[in-house]
Amino acid sequence: MIHVEHLTKDYRRVKRREGLFGSLRTLFSAEYEPLRAVNDLSFDIAEGELVGYIGPNGAGKSTSIKMLCGILVPSSGRIEVNGLVPHKNRMANALQIGAVFGQKTQLWWDVPVIESLRLFRDIYKVPEPVYRQNLEMFNDLLGLHEFRDAPVRQLSLGQRMRADMAAALIHNPHLLFLDEPMIGVDVVVKERLRTFIQQVNRERKVTVILTTHDMVDIEKVCSRIMIIDHGQIVYDGDLDRIRERYGTTRTLVIEFEESVPDFDAPHARLAKSEGRRKWFAFNRLETSPSALIAHISARYPVADLAVEEPDIEEIVRTVYRGGDPQEAAR
Amino acid sequence: MKLFWSFTRQAFHNTAVYRVEFWIRLVSILLAMYSIRAVWQTLYTQRPDAFGLTLGQMVTYGVLGMALHAFIDTGSEWYIATQVRTGAIDTDLLKPIDFHVHMLARNLGEMLFGMGVMALPTYAIGYFVFGLQLPPDAGAAGLFALSVLLGFLVQFHLGFLLGSVAFATLDIRSIAWAYFAVISFFSGQMVPLWMFPDGLRAVAEVLPLQAVYYIPMSIYIGTYSGPEAWSALGFQALWALTLAGVARLAWHQVHRRLTVQGG
Amino acid sequence: MNPISLYLRLVRIAIKARMQYRADFVTGILGVIVMNVVNISLIGILVSRFADLNGWTIWEVVFLYSLWILGHSLFSLFMWHIRTLEDYLVQGTFDQFLLRPASAFVLFIGREVQYLGIADFAIGASGMALAYSNLRLTWGPVEWGFLVLAILAGTLIEMTLTLMISSIAFWTGRSRRANGLVMQVNVMVQYYPVDIFGAFFRVLVTSVIPVAFMNYYPALMLLGKVEHIGAWWPLAYASPVVALVMVGLAAGVWQLALRQYSSAGG
Repeated sequence: MIHVEHLTKDYRRVKRREGLFGSLRTLFSAEYEPLRAVNDLSFDIAEGELVGYIGPNGAGKSTSIKMLCGILVPSSGRIEVNGLVPHKNRMANALQIGAVFGQKTQLWWDVPVIESLRLFRDIYKVPEPVYRQNLEMFNDLLGLHEFRDAPVRQLSLGQRMRADMAAALIHNPHLLFLDEPMIGVDVVVKERLRTFIQQVNRERKVTVILTTHDMVDIEKVCSRIMIIDHGQIVYDGDLDRIRERYGTTRTLVIEFEESVPDFDAPHARLAKSEGRRKWFAFNRLETSPSALIAHISARYPVADLAVEEPDIEEIVRTVYRGGDPQEAAR
Repeated sequence: MKLFWSFTRQAFHNTAVYRVEFWIRLVSILLAMYSIRAVWQTLYTQRPDAFGLTLGQMVTYGVLGMALHAFIDTGSEWYIATQVRTGAIDTDLLKPIDFHVHMLARNLGEMLFGMGVMALPTYAIGYFVFGLQLPPDAGAAGLFALSVLLGFLVQFHLGFLLGSVAFATLDIRSIAWAYFAVISFFSGQMVPLWMFPDGLRAVAEVLPLQAVYYIPMSIYIGTYSGPEAWSALGFQALWALTLAGVARLAWHQVHRRLTVQGG
Repeated sequence: MNPISLYLRLVRIAIKARMQYRADFVTGILGVIVMNVVNISLIGILVSRFADLNGWTIWEVVFLYSLWILGHSLFSLFMWHIRTLEDYLVQGTFDQFLLRPASAFVLFIGREVQYLGIADFAIGASGMALAYSNLRLTWGPVEWGFLVLAILAGTLIEMTLTLMISSIAFWTGRSRRANGLVMQVNVMVQYYPVDIFGAFFRVLVTSVIPVAFMNYYPALMLLGKVEHIGAWWPLAYASPVVALVMVGLAAGVWQLALRQYSSAGG
């Protein structure tokens, strides 16, 4: 479905000169330096896959996605979506893709959601029965009927996301890009969106590329994960492996009422100790925070506590280093 | 003080990066000078003795008006309006600096930067190409500089006041246009105030708006000199302070409303 | 969906969206009216101290001004947001236009409408009516037809000019100052008959930034002053042609701009 081969993208950036005189000189002539955003990317995605696409900010995610959408022209390499070269066939490619951007809505801000959907129906030439059928589905799974007549500016974030999701799928695209669609959304809506994505993927064979910073999204929704860093793919494979090795470590931070000696808890390892605080790394498949806390507080009185998740940056760094998951907890 | 210089430096950096903009700004000022000179030349060929000023003085007045306008008008009203609309005003309010002073430093920095980088080339071109005359003496030049500073303060606070009062409306644009059209009219930027028909002239003489352009430019071409010039400066200073007070008060109200309502 | 019907659909939505902000409607209209009245008064004061401005009487100046504003009003109503292209680029909204199976251009220009153009139109129409009666003009169908053409040409000229200048943003990220500069030249032409300026400027506003065709040249024809430009008399009738040429140029610039955007990114 998606074929990417040796994809590279270079940008030119104005070199910033130091000091006041440097700035003055820039007024007259500017020097450029090349910036390689995407570096020799190669991968294939089959139809119906649910891929998690993660990486730190500035890693090249949005650049590569823009190339898949046909918005950006590659500097070199091959790229095909369902046989079409995106930047050469922008409009034809547009018919087969849909996108949701977490930060920005694609709907018209001041008019009812349904107006935007109707307009998309006409732009994408969606046949009336298909349109109505999709609306039915959105009503069922996303609760669209609750807010379809409200202008987007009046919607809550969760409602807006659901509306954007509907808009992205109204024309039955083969490929769906989800760029951080769950940011700031509450847990209930998140769950609903995740279920929706899985259902759409299962029933309609929509290929999904999900960009997110939330590991739980990846774990619950994706079967495959691609990690990109500094413009290159550093991991491309099964989610289970990642899940086993990297995604399950949590850290429990305990602040004791007074300084206590170091100790180990069952199924947990003392990763760090500083003053009255101790960091316990544990595998959440093996034990739970509450069990740990119960055990620990039975030994010493606890003043305060927090649970830390490993963030994507850490996981990426770990994967990149090819290191020990236990090390990641430090 | 440090704050103020940092804004000046920042204005400088911002322009250096967008170097095309610098050139455009310069051309823009030159165009304005060109247009006003053409107008006065045309009018004077028809009635050379209509005004009690020589063509040279009139052109100087006009050209100077255009040049000053490019620096003095820092658009202080836009900043507030935009910040409030986007909600970014909260970050400004969180800063441990008095907002009024903060804005003043920022705008003053921008103005001085504009002057610093562009005053010399624009003045030189004005002098050599557009017939801008030198001030009658060094004293007038000094008073002029002081007068410009005071005029800027008046202009700034007018804008600050507008920004504070009009933030509630979503679209400040047309209000700003009308506001500044009226200011520009009564400030003598394009047409010296004594040319106004009697009724309008009476109004103009009472308003503080003449402090922005008419007074400094009159000092420059020598219409105001000696004790007259000093009393004009006094007029400016008085209004600068008054407007500063009023603007500050207006801002205070806005601030209270914002923090109570939560933006 | 063909571009025209797409555009009409988009404009319908844009109007609906704009109607949500009715509260500002009145203040906005008043603001524009005040601004224009003040501006024309300034010229009025100048011209009243002398009989005319290089042979242009006060009502002829009003005519010039009104003709410009009429063309500008249509631009202002439907195309004003072209100036904010740089914001669309910075905020990433422009990308969305490229995601659709439709012309990014149509999606962009159909995005917004501004009601302030209505005020402009009202001012222009009143000014034109006043000038017409005070100048005791008597037009036949040819003149009325040409008036309509001239207004439409004016709109197209301002639109294409603004589009080309705003497209600078695709390369440098900003176009505000450039827009301001062109607007400045535009304003000079709006108030003052171009013949008070020197040859350099006249050439500038005739061939490089052809805003003189928004009012000056057609006014020569409509006011019967074509002899003002002597051997250059065809220019008085040329504004529709100039408008079409500008459309061609703007189309070319836009294509280049899109190519730039797709290679250099947001």
